[in-house]
Amino acid sequence: MGAKKENNDEEMDEKVKKYLRGEAANLEGLKDKKLKGQLAVREDLYGKSAKTAAKIEKWLLPSEDGYLEAEGIEKTWRIKQESIAREVDILSSRNQYDIVLPELGPYTLDFTSNGRYMAAAGRKGHLAIIDMKTLNLIKEIQVRETVRDVAYLHNELFFAAAQKKYPYIYNRDGTELHCLKEHGPVLRLQFLKNHFLLASINKFGQLRYQDVTMGEMIGNFRTGLGRTDVMQVNPFNGVVALGHSSGTITMWKPTTSVPLVKMLCHPGPVSSLAFHPNGHLMATSGRENKIKIWDTRKFEVIQTLPCHAKTLNFSQKGLLAAGTGSFIQILADFSGSQNYSSYMTHSMAKGYQVGKVMFRPYEDILGIGHSMGWSSILIPGSGEPNFDSWVANPFETSKQRREKEVHSLLDKLPPETIMLDPTKVGTVRAPQKKKKPTKEIETEMEAAIETAKDTEFKKKTKGRNKPSKRAKKRREMIDRAKRPFLEQQTQEHETSKKKQKTNPETEMPKSLQRFGRQKAT
Amino acid sequence: MEKQGTCKECSILHCCTCSPSPTRVPHLTCAFLSRCLHLSQALLHEYIFKQNLSKAICSEEIDTAGCSISGKLAMAGQKRKERAGGGEFRNNKFKKDSKMNKSSKNNKNKNNTISKGKGPRLPSSLRTELDRLNPRISSDSDDGIDSDIGNDVYEYDEEVPEEESRKNRRFDPVENYEYELPKDFKDENVSSDDDDDDGGFGVDGNEGSQNEDDERHLRMLQGITGMSTDAFGDKKKRNSIVISEAHPESEYNPTRDVLQGDGHITVQDLLDPIQGKPGYSKLRKRMQHVDRRSASVQAPLPKADREKLERMAVYEHSKKDITKWEHLVKRNREAPTVFFGEDVDLGFSTVGAIASEFEPRTEFEKKIASLVYDDKVMEAHKADGSKLLELNKISEEDYIKHRDHVAKMRSLLFRHEMKQKRIKKIKSKTFHRLKNKDKLKAVSVEMLMDPETAKEQARKQEFKRAEERMTLKHKNKSKWARRILERGLNAQDEGTRAAMAEQLHHHALLTRKINTVNDSSSSSDNSSDEDDEGSNEDRASELLEKAKEKTLKVLEDDEELPNSGVLSLPFMVRGMKKRKEEAMEEAKLALQEYEQLEGTNGAVNSKPPIATGRRVFGRADTEVPDSNKKTKTDKMKVDNYYGNSDSEDDFEAKENINIEGSRRNDVEKDVAPNFDRKEATDVSVFKNFDEVVGDPGSKTTYDVAIFASDSWRKMKSGNEVDTNVRKLPEVKEPIALNQDVEEGEEGSDSESEQQMVDGILTSGPKESYELPSQSELIQLAFAGDDVQEEFEKDKREILNEENPEPDKPVLLPGWGQWTDVQRKKGLPSWMLKEHEDAKRKREEILKRRKDARLKHVIISEKVDKKAEKLQTKTLPYPFTSKELFEQSMRMPIGSESNPETAIRSLNRPEVVKKPGVIIKPIKFEEAHPHEKSEDNKRRGQKPKKNRSKGATSKNKKQ
Repeated sequence: MGAKKENNDEEMDEKVKKYLRGEAANLEGLKDKKLKGQLAVREDLYGKSAKTAAKIEKWLLPSEDGYLEAEGIEKTWRIKQESIAREVDILSSRNQYDIVLPELGPYTLDFTSNGRYMAAAGRKGHLAIIDMKTLNLIKEIQVRETVRDVAYLHNELFFAAAQKKYPYIYNRDGTELHCLKEHGPVLRLQFLKNHFLLASINKFGQLRYQDVTMGEMIGNFRTGLGRTDVMQVNPFNGVVALGHSSGTITMWKPTTSVPLVKMLCHPGPVSSLAFHPNGHLMATSGRENKIKIWDTRKFEVIQTLPCHAKTLNFSQKGLLAAGTGSFIQILADFSGSQNYSSYMTHSMAKGYQVGKVMFRPYEDILGIGHSMGWSSILIPGSGEPNFDSWVANPFETSKQRREKEVHSLLDKLPPETIMLDPTKVGTVRAPQKKKKPTKEIETEMEAAIETAKDTEFKKKTKGRNKPSKRAKKRREMIDRAKRPFLEQQTQEHETSKKKQKTNPETEMPKSLQRFGRQKAT
Repeated sequence: MEKQGTCKECSILHCCTCSPSPTRVPHLTCAFLSRCLHLSQALLHEYIFKQNLSKAICSEEIDTAGCSISGKLAMAGQKRKERAGGGEFRNNKFKKDSKMNKSSKNNKNKNNTISKGKGPRLPSSLRTELDRLNPRISSDSDDGIDSDIGNDVYEYDEEVPEEESRKNRRFDPVENYEYELPKDFKDENVSSDDDDDDGGFGVDGNEGSQNEDDERHLRMLQGITGMSTDAFGDKKKRNSIVISEAHPESEYNPTRDVLQGDGHITVQDLLDPIQGKPGYSKLRKRMQHVDRRSASVQAPLPKADREKLERMAVYEHSKKDITKWEHLVKRNREAPTVFFGEDVDLGFSTVGAIASEFEPRTEFEKKIASLVYDDKVMEAHKADGSKLLELNKISEEDYIKHRDHVAKMRSLLFRHEMKQKRIKKIKSKTFHRLKNKDKLKAVSVEMLMDPETAKEQARKQEFKRAEERMTLKHKNKSKWARRILERGLNAQDEGTRAAMAEQLHHHALLTRKINTVNDSSSSSDNSSDEDDEGSNEDRASELLEKAKEKTLKVLEDDEELPNSGVLSLPFMVRGMKKRKEEAMEEAKLALQEYEQLEGTNGAVNSKPPIATGRRVFGRADTEVPDSNKKTKTDKMKVDNYYGNSDSEDDFEAKENINIEGSRRNDVEKDVAPNFDRKEATDVSVFKNFDEVVGDPGSKTTYDVAIFASDSWRKMKSGNEVDTNVRKLPEVKEPIALNQDVEEGEEGSDSESEQQMVDGILTSGPKESYELPSQSELIQLAFAGDDVQEEFEKDKREILNEENPEPDKPVLLPGWGQWTDVQRKKGLPSWMLKEHEDAKRKREEILKRRKDARLKHVIISEKVDKKAEKLQTKTLPYPFTSKELFEQSMRMPIGSESNPETAIRSLNRPEVVKKPGVIIKPIKFEEAHPHEKSEDNKRRGQKPKKNRSKGATSKNKKQ
């Protein structure tokens, strides 16, 4: 009993720690009594909040994620879908199916963030929206051109399809709402739902960001690294990663024209890319038959797996699905030590080419888009068992959806909040010691002088219009233009001098410091 | 203070030196004298102490010496008394010298013991006798001596009646009890005698130095007073003699004080002899009175000082007052949220609640209330709504009566209206004049009869006047009028004067006229309204009608020809007739015109709808074909679109191929024309397909793709093709594998391509695990090498771009190369140094980069200016450390990331108040340490333990 309690306490402590989001401020050395008091009260409130959150998590979110457990010499990856189907309930077994649509080419998929709806796009112009709960086909349209990718916008009402020449935005009824001509022939589309940005990479290797609320083009960058159709958004910070044929991966944000990070991941072309939902893990696969798992904080390889993947996807719980040919492998890491190993495998009918794998949010289901349609298989332990209706609600009613739409629009993040480490927002900026090089300053000064010289004077009255006076005035003007630059220079000079003065003292060994010149203070 | 002090000492001095009259000694001297006095006192004490010591050994000696000692010691005692009385305020400052006190503690104790014991109670007669002999020794004074002897001898003690003890007191007139300085008043200049008395000279003080001191003092005194040394020197002698003086003092044997003093005789001296005689007490009282009166009043302190003292006192007081608020202020200051007006009851907030409070006051209200709250009605309300209907019932008779009444009233009104209309139409001026007169009369009569109408009339008049006053249109306000007035009316000619008068008259008239005009206009409006009722015509038609009416009137008018006068003359009559006829004709013409106009107007009115109708028709006509066309074009377009889409597909394919490799181009060319023949028969397609199947490698894939798209098109385009479509799947089965291969390729998958070339079809999971062929491996290996190098180069470039390498130091050609020496020396050292520095700096910067250790990563160091606004440039005010700030900011406080219960307290504003509630000033509350925590809870704050403790402790202190 006592042990149990202790265990409970430990569990709670862990949860509280999680919700406290870091260490409390250390008020020991704080001299400001007022601030100390205020912070103490704050910390107290934070503690309470974290505690209640932990309690809620413990008592109100009781569903646990399941997983396959092997007995004896059984191996989890030997368990077939059929044997799973025999064990699970009817509702779950309904989620194992293959939709065979051989004519309209390889299919690609996208789920809404709550996992309720799926958009499927056949390469030959077939767009379909399906309610995954009821398995009803909501709408099916033929756009009569190549469709390369499909992406849901913030909810199921809108989706974007990358078509032959341009991407288009359709609504649920299949009505074309927008044609995004600026994007050009887009290969991949991604939607950043917190920022309401539609990111696309086109044939010419141009990355574009468009705000779907106002229609404003936020960013338009040339990657300069050739054509690519490997693009993925990091759900943690909204950074878009692109995989290139040179084996590099570049990470972009919409407000800078150069990639935030450029890393060489594979010696061959990068074939696919996926991010863990917590944003700290990235999986890449290259043509050289390697899957690499990276730590995106340290930019270091954690693990290298010897298999090929044409498509990769992380589930909410961190399972990694890799699809190649007609074979799908699920890698899992239940130990928590980021050591991924094979968890399940699945092979489609011979000849099916898997084009895209994607885990369905809040369900233990993997959606597979392949050359003959799409399929769905059960992967125990892949989905988040407890949904947060503030974030995504699979059972959303239309009213709730409307509410949420308004809320999410109000809470829309500006594009500049996308950065590698979003926790930096609201902190103190690191001091910038970068100065303009002197040459630039000089050129600026020259330009200013030129403008001062070129200014024309008004014609003054008789006495004041003498050439001598005008010359004098001109001289004064030039001086005035020069002054700020000169002042800046002198200042810099002084500061550097001061530094020089202070430096030798600090450099001196301690025993000799007393012989150094004492400061005036 | 000083003055006082000195005076005090003066008095003491007089006592001591037995100077009978209080002489005013200058301040300085006084100080000196007092010093001297201290000395003598100290000596005395010393003596007493010695006496005490020796007492135990030889008490007899004391007995013998008793009297004389008493004489001397009494003085000391008296002085002590005096000090106790007059110098109370000095006690504080005496304590200042605590060190001294400590050293003299013994002595003091002794003194205390001496003063404690009261000597034998002498009969008052004897005392008076004694007093007479030795007037300076008060009855109190001998206590000391007696006790000092009799501490162990008598234990006998009696209170002396105060009057008696005071009787012979010979205090200085300067004695001042009235004024008391504040306790903490400090005077450091004047050293007090007590100080010296108690501690100045310890018991074990060195006598040698004392003697020296004494001598010095004597000299000093001599110098000051100008008296012979004997006068002072004797004192010492006397001190030594004191013991030997055993005779009681008497008239015949006066004390040395008297003898040696100035010989002044005070009133007291004179009074003493008559003590006990009738009238003595009276006299004495009077004397005392006089003494008191004559006591010199201290000069008041300067105003500034006085006020300062006052302020000090007030400050002390107010400080105490204010500190009691401290805990309240502290509490409010520490509270994260302050609540105002929490306990205010806002009372009723709903309309219903307010309405329920309503009480009928006026008669009308009461009536209504009685009806509304009628029992029947209430009951009906309570029971059932249908009963209310019953209550509403009106009897038939009532209804008929009401209807008749209404009808009657309406008819009356109508008649009245008609009459009024008729009257209004009458144009006769006389009639109107008479009518007006009648009206005025009636009004005046009414005014006389009825006060209300009078009032109304007055009001009307007032209104009119007010209107005129407001506008002042004709009140000589125009420019012209003002100019004339400026010049003076008398200067004008008659015409202008008349004009002015006219205007004034006009002004008077206008007040009335405005009303009439208004009336007429309104009436005409009404009439026109009535006329035009039903027909909504525009103004033009209205005007026309009016004109018509008028002309008709003219026509109908059979003007009576005048029977007399010039006009009755025959030629005039003829002329008139002619003119009339002409006028009639004209009028008729006009009428016709009007009618025509009206007709056209009507036509115009009616036309538009027709026109629009026509237009609509036209439009419809035109539209229909348009739409037809459109649909046609649409169809065409659709057709084209189909074609286009196909061709686009082709195009796309082309592009793809272009990127994949140019070698496929010929194949594509082959196929494209094939595809253009849209109406190609199935057979041809199949043929094509057959060919495709026969073809190896990449060709296959492409053709199959075309085939698929084609088939789809047909499926959609018409029924005729259905059969084909049905056929298609059958055909497809055999090629399924190939198709898969193709579709899997999507993009430029060179690998699968190669596989295709090799003839290995992708199949099953094993395939992906298959080891790549040797050639592939080599290719990959080489490619990897290349990639690595490229990346490194790229990184170097980027680094150089961000931190350019310093230029190599170069001299201008020819400079510094005059001699060999210079050339050998090479570049100047400063240049080299600069270069070195720059290099080192660059390296440092490169080392500091985040990607310095990561070979395969380039992390951009560029600062995003747009994102800068999301960070603070400086630490916000109360924070002093960056860490603390960032830690305090780590928790989100929004509703998304906190449970519902915590959001409120996390986001509570600093001040919470109800709208519309007046915030009352802070009220004093006692600090209750136990209540505090409760209070905080109510306020939604959780004080830390130590904090609340601190607060309570502070409260306790108060």
